[in-house]
Amino acid sequence: MAEEKENFAYDPEVNYDEATLAQQKKIEQQIVTEQSLISERVDFSELEDEYAKDEVFQLKIKDLKSKYACMRKIRGDGNCFYRAFGFAYMEKLLSDPTEFKRFQAVARQSKDDLVALGFQQFTIEDFHDTFMEVIDKVEQNCSLEDLLQVFNDQVYSDYLVVYLRLLVSGYLQKEKDFFINFMEGGQSVKEFCNHEVEPMSKESDHIHIIALTSAIDVPVRIEYMDRGGDNVNAHDFPEGSSPKVTLIYRPGHYDILYTL
Amino acid sequence: MSKNKTVLLYYYLFVNKASTYARKCSIHGKTDIYQNQFLVYFRVSYLFSLPDGTLSDVRNNKMAATRRLTKELGDIRKAAMPSFRDIKVDESNILNWQALLTPDQPPYNKGAFRIEINFPAEYPFKPPKITFKTKIYHPNIDEKGQVCLPIISPENWKPATKTDQVIQALVSLVNEPEPEHPLRGDIAEEYTKNKKLYLKSAEDYTKKYSEKRPSD
Repeated sequence: MAEEKENFAYDPEVNYDEATLAQQKKIEQQIVTEQSLISERVDFSELEDEYAKDEVFQLKIKDLKSKYACMRKIRGDGNCFYRAFGFAYMEKLLSDPTEFKRFQAVARQSKDDLVALGFQQFTIEDFHDTFMEVIDKVEQNCSLEDLLQVFNDQVYSDYLVVYLRLLVSGYLQKEKDFFINFMEGGQSVKEFCNHEVEPMSKESDHIHIIALTSAIDVPVRIEYMDRGGDNVNAHDFPEGSSPKVTLIYRPGHYDILYTL
Repeated sequence: MSKNKTVLLYYYLFVNKASTYARKCSIHGKTDIYQNQFLVYFRVSYLFSLPDGTLSDVRNNKMAATRRLTKELGDIRKAAMPSFRDIKVDESNILNWQALLTPDQPPYNKGAFRIEINFPAEYPFKPPKITFKTKIYHPNIDEKGQVCLPIISPENWKPATKTDQVIQALVSLVNEPEPEHPLRGDIAEEYTKNKKLYLKSAEDYTKKYSEKRPSD
């Protein structure tokens, strides 16, 4: 007992913040080596293995298999919603020139909208330029492998995530009179954006999803695989739309789904 | 030396050379040449990249950081901020900046404080770190020169935050201490309970340890 206590003694020479950060970095690095940012299309066997002992989830995976052909796994780094959504949508755009034209115009305009909302032009430009570069690649009909490579390049990919986060932040702030109703703990919409949207690795919830799909007008379906019932539960954002992208949500994580 | 290490070494030589060149050219305004030359180095360094992608991540990280910091540094130098002067950046490493902080509020307005800003290779996805190299008597700066600045805390860091915003936040923190979340509890207590004594101690400390303010 006494020994244990000694082990936990506070040592003023040790920088605990840095020790925590170092440990966090180690865990992050382990995830990096085990899971690419975006995987190839895979069947559901990995998912079945992961939940081998979970009867409820086994039922749900069975339901999933009856509705979907395969999935892409996304690295769990807190950015998975943005990366999953971004990739799945760009992949869709490769085969949908009409939608591409619409989106290209929206994406181009978005920078000025953000600057008008008070975002720093200099930094917005940096991220917007990279975002448009990828859209240009899609316009030049790059291969799916090229697109996958772009999204698996950490820096490129993170630049895209940042821009999507900025779009969410911009939309929430533009519609702050509406979104203030959903803020918890008396924080303002701006504070919410500062703490829960713009920093990397902050996970996404309904509010982020609503903001992103509304900001660029791209409906998304999310299949929720949680504790309730025997089936996965589909939820479309916005309700009644025909989704361009389908994702699967397991507590704390998003991946991409492909229909049969 | 293993093959991978050799490859890494070559790679770093190329990237360093490329970024040095990039800086030189951007200083002289030759952006086109800079881009072309950079591309050449970029392609050459690509030859050395490893199939698993780790190396390309390192390469791209440093490139993204260099590209953005080159622009930011240029803007900051042009803006000539009154409280952030004598900016020194080593040619070979744009990730490390040194400068003099010259606060305009008492008790710190009689001196200049040398600070160091260290940007991680993952910048702008990870925040810079700021350290005071000159001793300062301040509730929010500890004996090692570490400063607690919310805008650059790893938790709250936003990639879209510009370095000049960070510097402005630092200058306001120095000018107006925040005793509610101190790094030096003793000074914070003095600040709230005996402001006069705090002002005197801080002024004496500034006189004793700080550097001379550069003349305009």
